[in-house]
Amino acid sequence: MSRRRFKPATASSHWPATGAVFAFPIAFILLPLAAFLAYSFFWTEQGVMSYALTLRNYARFFTDPVFLPVLRQTCVLCLEVAFLTVLAGYPVAYFLASLRGRIRYILLMLMLVPLLMSYVIKIYAIRSILGGHGALNRALLWLGLIDEPLTVFVFNLNAVLLTLTVLLIPFAVLPIFLSLERIPRSLMDASADLGASATQTFMRVILPLSLPGTITALTFVFVLAIGDFLTPQMVGGQSGFTFGRIIYSQFGTAFNWPFGAALSVILAVVVIAAIALGTIFGRDRSALK
Amino acid sequence: MSTDKLLLELKAVSKSFGSTNVLAHIDLAVRDGEFITILGPSGSGKTTILRMIGGFESPSSGQILLDGADISPLPINKRPFNTVFQDYALFPHMTVAANVGYGLKVRGTKNAEITDRVSQALALVQLADFAGRYPAQLSGGQRQRVALARAIICRPRLILLDEPLAALDVELRRHMQLFLKDIQREIKTTFLFVTHDQEEAIAMADRICVMNAGHIQQLGSAHEVYYRPANEFVARFFGDNNLIEGRLQETVDGIRWIETPLGRLACAIDGQAGVAAASLGARAFAAFRPESLSLTPTGHASENATRGCITALSFAGAHTLANVAVDAAEPLSLRLRLPSRVEGVAVTPGMIVDLYWRAVECRLVLV
Repeated sequence: MSRRRFKPATASSHWPATGAVFAFPIAFILLPLAAFLAYSFFWTEQGVMSYALTLRNYARFFTDPVFLPVLRQTCVLCLEVAFLTVLAGYPVAYFLASLRGRIRYILLMLMLVPLLMSYVIKIYAIRSILGGHGALNRALLWLGLIDEPLTVFVFNLNAVLLTLTVLLIPFAVLPIFLSLERIPRSLMDASADLGASATQTFMRVILPLSLPGTITALTFVFVLAIGDFLTPQMVGGQSGFTFGRIIYSQFGTAFNWPFGAALSVILAVVVIAAIALGTIFGRDRSALK
Repeated sequence: MSTDKLLLELKAVSKSFGSTNVLAHIDLAVRDGEFITILGPSGSGKTTILRMIGGFESPSSGQILLDGADISPLPINKRPFNTVFQDYALFPHMTVAANVGYGLKVRGTKNAEITDRVSQALALVQLADFAGRYPAQLSGGQRQRVALARAIICRPRLILLDEPLAALDVELRRHMQLFLKDIQREIKTTFLFVTHDQEEAIAMADRICVMNAGHIQQLGSAHEVYYRPANEFVARFFGDNNLIEGRLQETVDGIRWIETPLGRLACAIDGQAGVAAASLGARAFAAFRPESLSLTPTGHASENATRGCITALSFAGAHTLANVAVDAAEPLSLRLRLPSRVEGVAVTPGMIVDLYWRAVECRLVLV
């Protein structure tokens, strides 16, 4: 047999295509991020920009008693959101994956329909459900569980938590569904064949094999939740203050772009750390090929 | 070795998916300790039989009996059978040792005993050094052996093997056939092996159950199935038999004669009650194998003979196949198989040859 080797075309013949491939992300992702990074080293006072490089914005973040606690609180909130969405999303994904034929994809599409709707409209809808005369309070009144409408559901951190959870569930369902769908049917047959009960099969085979998708779901939801400022803005009220809102206010009301940029860089570091953790723990140990 | 004690019985088992009948009225008895092979082309229903015994499917009607008791109500995980799956179905997130010990683990066996039995099972399949590996780090043959170790460790009454060698290359498959047979002798467990490969079935099985289109065509030893095919399907399924159609004549001294375009052929009928009882003038095939044909008289008391012209030779390694055109009432072609020699075989295309074959290797198959 003759030995034929795959020989890649020379690099020079590729460069226009390669350049085009890289140009887009460089222009629209890397450059804006770099601009933020640069801005975070500037300083503004009384509306006057100083372009001399300084670390004063970062120093302010670490010394002012306001910012670190809000960041910590926001991280905790977003972790709670991530765990709640996975708790709610796993059974849904499991149910979808257990269906056969067309019905599973029809239901999956239906579940994704909310993603096509405007984010603001969805938040408004949820706010009206959570409000004093909303469906939630009326249902509780009707059930006789409460005597008068509760105000704990809206314009505080609970409201942010509930709203983010409801909005982000589809993002948890998808990666979990994909990892469940990839588990070959024969593994469940083999487990039963070897004497395992349905519970044992779930705990020893299905759950471990869907863990990478579950961790992807956690990371995904956490990153989406921590970057969100609209939801806390609309349902958080005075007490539902999150890091995203602080950044928003630096740009929108305080007009302190350098400090806002520094806070954004700090948030980006948190997000990158979360993704890195997700990658390490979500590594598919079975795919050692 | 197998005894005459029955382990498992299928009684009038039928299976249909929707309006498609996959199996019709299957009666099959599996003896304790035997190596039985279910052989058939794809779509013949052989895997469905295995899946029903394993509990993955339930029969549409009929019964499956273990030691005489119906096991229909038993779920998969309560049946004392273990399966070696076609794609091995090893758990990718577990080591070889954890895979093999899985069946014991879920039954709550103590860890010390699991460790012991896993190392025994791995030693049996010659994978003692691979306990800590993951399935993805093993070759196909090694995965196969892990799947086998995992199936035998729970000491099942019956091991079901669903075309386990189909994914292996020819050389490895031969090796694994012998290996499986050795293991089966060593652990003295009943093996029910499903395959579509005739040679594999012949090489391994104590008994072969030939299936086609949801029906059992023949059940018997490899020798019986090969030399005394019960019908045209079985006769054609093994090797390239010569089948010559004709009409049955009288029986004389255990030899039944058949009138064919090749003339009157003598056929042995021992062990073929149906053929012996068939009426005079009934249509039947005389079936004889390419390797049964000889270029010189066999010296046997009752033999058949014909004359023909070699039309083509094809070298196939250990043997060479020749096509022989026979000058008969209608044009007929016979297949002749000769052992290969470095200088070529004794015949060349165009040569006129006389062919002889013994009546004991010429069998009747009713149409």
